[in-house]
Amino acid sequence: MKKRFLALALSVAVAAGCVACGGGADNNAPAAEGAEEAGGAESSGSGSSTVVVAMGSGFATVDPGYVYEKYPPLIVNACYENLFKFYGNDSAPEPCLADTYEFSEDNLTLTVKLKEGITFASGNPMTSADVLFSINRCKNLQGNPSFIADTIESMEAPDDLTVVFHLTQADSAILSKLTYSALAILDSAVVKENGGTDAEDAATTDTAQAYLDSTSAGSGMYVMTSYIPDEEVVLEKNPNYWGEATNVDKYIVKIQPDSNTQMMTLSTGDIDVALNMTDDTMAELAGAEGIEIINAATKTVGFLMMNMNEEYGGPVSDPKVQQAIRKAVDYSGVQTICGEGTLTPYAIIQSGFMGSKGERAADYANVEEAKALLAEAGYADGFDVDLTVTDLDMEGILLTDLAQKVKDDLSRIGINVNIVSQPWAAGYGDAYRDGTIGFTVMYWGTDYNDPNVQLEFLPGGVMGLRAGWTKEMAPELAAMYDETMAATDNDARTAVLEKIQDAMYEDGPFLMIAQAPAHIGYNSRLDGVAISDPYALDVTLINIKQ
Amino acid sequence: MKQLKFTGKRLAYLVVMLFGVATLVFILTKMIPGDPTVANLSQRALNDPEVVAAYKAKYGLDQPIFVQYVLYIKNLLKFDLGTSIRTNKPVLAELARCYPATIELALFAILLAAVFGILFGVISAIRRNSILDQAVRAVSVTGVSIPSFWFALLVLYFFYYKLHIFPGPGRLSNSFSAPATVTGLYVLDSLLEGNIPKAMDALSHLILPGTVLAAFTMGLITRTTRSNLLDVMSMDYIRTARAKGIGRVGLIVRHALGNALIPVLTVIGLGLGNLLGGMVLVETIFNWPGVGQFAYESVLSADFPAIIGVALLIALNYMIINTVVDILYGVIDPRVRCQ
Repeated sequence: MKKRFLALALSVAVAAGCVACGGGADNNAPAAEGAEEAGGAESSGSGSSTVVVAMGSGFATVDPGYVYEKYPPLIVNACYENLFKFYGNDSAPEPCLADTYEFSEDNLTLTVKLKEGITFASGNPMTSADVLFSINRCKNLQGNPSFIADTIESMEAPDDLTVVFHLTQADSAILSKLTYSALAILDSAVVKENGGTDAEDAATTDTAQAYLDSTSAGSGMYVMTSYIPDEEVVLEKNPNYWGEATNVDKYIVKIQPDSNTQMMTLSTGDIDVALNMTDDTMAELAGAEGIEIINAATKTVGFLMMNMNEEYGGPVSDPKVQQAIRKAVDYSGVQTICGEGTLTPYAIIQSGFMGSKGERAADYANVEEAKALLAEAGYADGFDVDLTVTDLDMEGILLTDLAQKVKDDLSRIGINVNIVSQPWAAGYGDAYRDGTIGFTVMYWGTDYNDPNVQLEFLPGGVMGLRAGWTKEMAPELAAMYDETMAATDNDARTAVLEKIQDAMYEDGPFLMIAQAPAHIGYNSRLDGVAISDPYALDVTLINIKQ
Repeated sequence: MKQLKFTGKRLAYLVVMLFGVATLVFILTKMIPGDPTVANLSQRALNDPEVVAAYKAKYGLDQPIFVQYVLYIKNLLKFDLGTSIRTNKPVLAELARCYPATIELALFAILLAAVFGILFGVISAIRRNSILDQAVRAVSVTGVSIPSFWFALLVLYFFYYKLHIFPGPGRLSNSFSAPATVTGLYVLDSLLEGNIPKAMDALSHLILPGTVLAAFTMGLITRTTRSNLLDVMSMDYIRTARAKGIGRVGLIVRHALGNALIPVLTVIGLGLGNLLGGMVLVETIFNWPGVGQFAYESVLSADFPAIIGVALLIALNYMIINTVVDILYGVIDPRVRCQ
């Protein structure tokens, strides 16, 4: 009897296990041969025309008017189009829906002629009225990305295929700004039908977000057919696409914030592209069959900020001390911490941007020279200083790790760094914005893909003021802000940007210590996968190898 | 009549406690260091005092705390939990979207924990001090003490990544699209669609996260069942029954187990509450779009209305479960009704 009871108990346990395991069987089979629905297979794997991409989280809408975070541009770029577009990560913006463009002599007016014969997914023709609606809606929603249209004072549409932008000031970055996801061109008729408005009170009266979170209303290569927040987005080919489409019929974009999870799902073939990998997880993929990896620099940059205001900066506000610190940092060691693909920018303009002078010289660091500079500044025996660091990470690299590295490096020249940790939400954020932090390691992500975003690091700029660096302290350098903004000619802009970088190579409160890398792993059946700062991943350039 | 009075009393407690919890949650949330404007506005927007002021006005953050509280309670009485700062959608709608995923996982986990916990507890008790007993006790202690985030990574690494036995993160394989929402429980909704393969796929996706969540509660249930069964087995009425010649299985199943399981009911109830409240890490690792993941994203954005909503939901879960357990106690044991 006893044995029968035990046998019964074990049988129940085994049966429960078997029932539970039943559905997992397809995991071992090639993905394309897995369970199929009536609609057909929707899986990645050899032979499938569906591509599964995993990206990070941190967003709650894909309505272009509100898109500001890192990953939604992937969706917006697939389903919508802008007047201009970046077809390569390091290229200049090129016309997309625009056909030609022209600046006025005073650079205060931009006239854009639209391409003819473009239709939205709904079949409606795209006209200048759609452009006006989309840009005005973004401005008037007053969401996070509305700033992007700050220099657009007004617009007019003299005919169906012409848009005239009147600018508040000369803005050499205006074409780059017009590539921004928030300024994607919407099918105004469809959006209006679903509660959209571009009126001045759109912030309170526009109700189209729910609709635009359920489907898309653009002219892009794909149409969004499903969006389940924090889970996945499904994109299917736009049957009315006006351009030449790739051979990927469908994208399933999984929201998978954890890089370990992405590494595992990529390895097992459940996904084709893993977007937010880390240096550690990439090591697991090295040499894996059928998987390609990309380690390359993004335009997110980590920097040391040494406050020019002596009240906050103390000794690090001394220009000679700042130069000594520049010489003391072990840049190659910083690159090792940040991982493969990291660059050390020459100055404030990241490598990859128009006008960038590339990287800081590899042999720049010199401890002896640093000691001499410190002695010149009157600190031959070094000094003690607090380095405030917050609880954030730069593309997965903890700022505290960078702070520790700076501490180690500066100890070589006698600067005794005391690391002070302060959570962003518990004071650091306010102090950082108020410019009362003396010495810190921080990062800067670009708001839009143009070197002009870096002008905020000039004296009097947003970042300059956070470092106590006013226009009056360096009027010549500060004047280069306006000079760059007015330089709509690329050669002229490059020349000013180079002057700025040379001026800040050895001077100023900012030391760019690392251009953070991005790590992407992808299935080798794909062609055209590349790092994209503006779109996270440009899915319109990806093909399945035949 | 007594049972009805007892049930009414418990439900009245529930309302009072809910009010208390709502007040406490509001106060605690306001004490958290964090500014929603900093968490949700861009750095450029933060430099514009007008934008910051408009943002605060939109979410009532510019009002004195007391006014915010009165408004909050008033809205709560109308089942209005406010608008999520992060998603710009009603918190109630967001919770309604996430909750079924959490419920499905929690129910599966508690079922797993109860079935295996009771089974192991019984085996352990009837084979007291044997190697089997030692093994079961070791498993239950491990289940209780193992950190869930570590266990989650471990099972995912071995059973999904290395051995390919179970499916990976998410609620469904790529081969399937989400079923039409009826209950929000994918297994049930797939069955309602008549799609058995999809239901099995959804069920298979529950195994790894369900096991991780079940581990702690299963350990507790095993230990509680074992000790209670041993206590009951030493009682006089069991000795009498044995003297009457009732076999061991009959003795355990018909006479001992029923009484031994009364305290286990409490453990199961609390366990379910724990599961619903402790989902954050497991849901994040398994990419499970439930309340835990919603809470995680909300905390990162200092989304106070959403955080309050999640806290209230979890508290409500606990209270309802406790009330149901209390009422069931009254049904099972008449002595409780008289207290």
